[in-house]
Amino acid sequence: MNDTAIWTEKLVKTYPGVRAVDGLSLNVPRGVAYGFLGRNGAGKTSTIRILLGLARPTEGHGTVLGFSIGREQVAILERTAFVSESKALYGGLTPRELVRFTRGFYPNWSDQAVTKYSRLFEIPMDRPFAKLSQGNRTKVYLLLALSQGADLLVLDEPATGLDPVVLDEFLRILVQDVIAEGRTVFISSHQLSDVEQIADWIGLIDHGKLLLEARLDDIKNQFRFVTVAGNAPPQTESSEVLLLASEGSFYKYLVKKNAEAFAAELSRQGATVAEVSPLGLREIFLALVRKEEPCTSGNVGEIAAAVSSSLS
Amino acid sequence: MLLHVNTASGVPTYLQIETQVKHYIAAGALAPGDALPSVRQLASDLRISTNTVARAYQNLERDGILRTVPGGRTYVGENPGSFLKAERVRRLRPYARQIAVEGTQLRLDPREIMELVQQELDALEEDNERYSNLDRKAR
Repeated sequence: MNDTAIWTEKLVKTYPGVRAVDGLSLNVPRGVAYGFLGRNGAGKTSTIRILLGLARPTEGHGTVLGFSIGREQVAILERTAFVSESKALYGGLTPRELVRFTRGFYPNWSDQAVTKYSRLFEIPMDRPFAKLSQGNRTKVYLLLALSQGADLLVLDEPATGLDPVVLDEFLRILVQDVIAEGRTVFISSHQLSDVEQIADWIGLIDHGKLLLEARLDDIKNQFRFVTVAGNAPPQTESSEVLLLASEGSFYKYLVKKNAEAFAAELSRQGATVAEVSPLGLREIFLALVRKEEPCTSGNVGEIAAAVSSSLS
Repeated sequence: MLLHVNTASGVPTYLQIETQVKHYIAAGALAPGDALPSVRQLASDLRISTNTVARAYQNLERDGILRTVPGGRTYVGENPGSFLKAERVRRLRPYARQIAVEGTQLRLDPREIMELVQQELDALEEDNERYSNLDRKAR
């Protein structure tokens, strides 16, 4: 378990009328930058709240840095830095006072880091938090997170309000001072481009379920759209097909590996394979999440072999 | 070094790095014994995970293109073409096949395809001359 930063098994969180997290099994290796992606309301923040002990799971269990969620929460919090989505702190305190207030909680706190990052981010250290702009509030949060000497950084929508220059600087710091040190970064976001830049692992969540979890470069190496011309999709039984959609007189299969072999098999069955093309994270995200996309030909819908939980 | 990556493309980032390093060596911009930036430095410059850069460097090392000395610095290998001829041909064959397939599909005749390859070889040759002239001037 020691090579795993975050591990959960079949986490469920229900609120009245909602299954916010629905059987989520995550596996985040140590030392990686993990992008936790999903639309607004997909269950990202609910999952993070469980990991940090801010919410109790309805079912399921897991570990963070090898410590049991819930039972060993203090050990987890000592080693985990958290940037919350809401970016709310005591409004009357200045950043300098917030630093003084926070440092006592963390055994590995670094005042040197505070000096370094407050300069880099140009944070007004003596103005009350409530009077800071959205971007400066985010920077204060990042400052506090980076100074904790944490083994794991959990960042929920960390880019809120940051201008492109600060965001770029923040990404550089994450690479140089966190990932290069073998520490783990878990970034939740609906902004694909920021995450795609830095992440080497991706978890894709929708309606509380994990649709995909893999190394990003492996996804790009193996995932392909196989486009077939014709009036009806050839019958296929393959666990490697994630999706079948129609577009005009073409059918598109999203294949998660061995796409060439799959295309050859379709050809053998008499289909005309028009193209086997690679795709970026954005296209994969849209294909998997936007399944209700209207089909131009009407009758054939969406999922061939439903997105299986066996994805890895 | 002028490496750059496009993380939004469908091409894995580590492959983009490998391809560029190979290109710089083939064009003479990088010579045997030249130092590459450290994994940490290149990753910070490109804002990508150190794991991605490490993967590219490891693959290039495995192919004898780069070598890492104890202490961690990475250099262009002294003798990149040290594999047996048969092995080098085996590695190139998939690319040759792809050129043949794509060229035929685009209805280019064999002579035109060969000409294109020749043009690319000439371009590399020119780059090589340019870089060695630069070297002479620097001295």
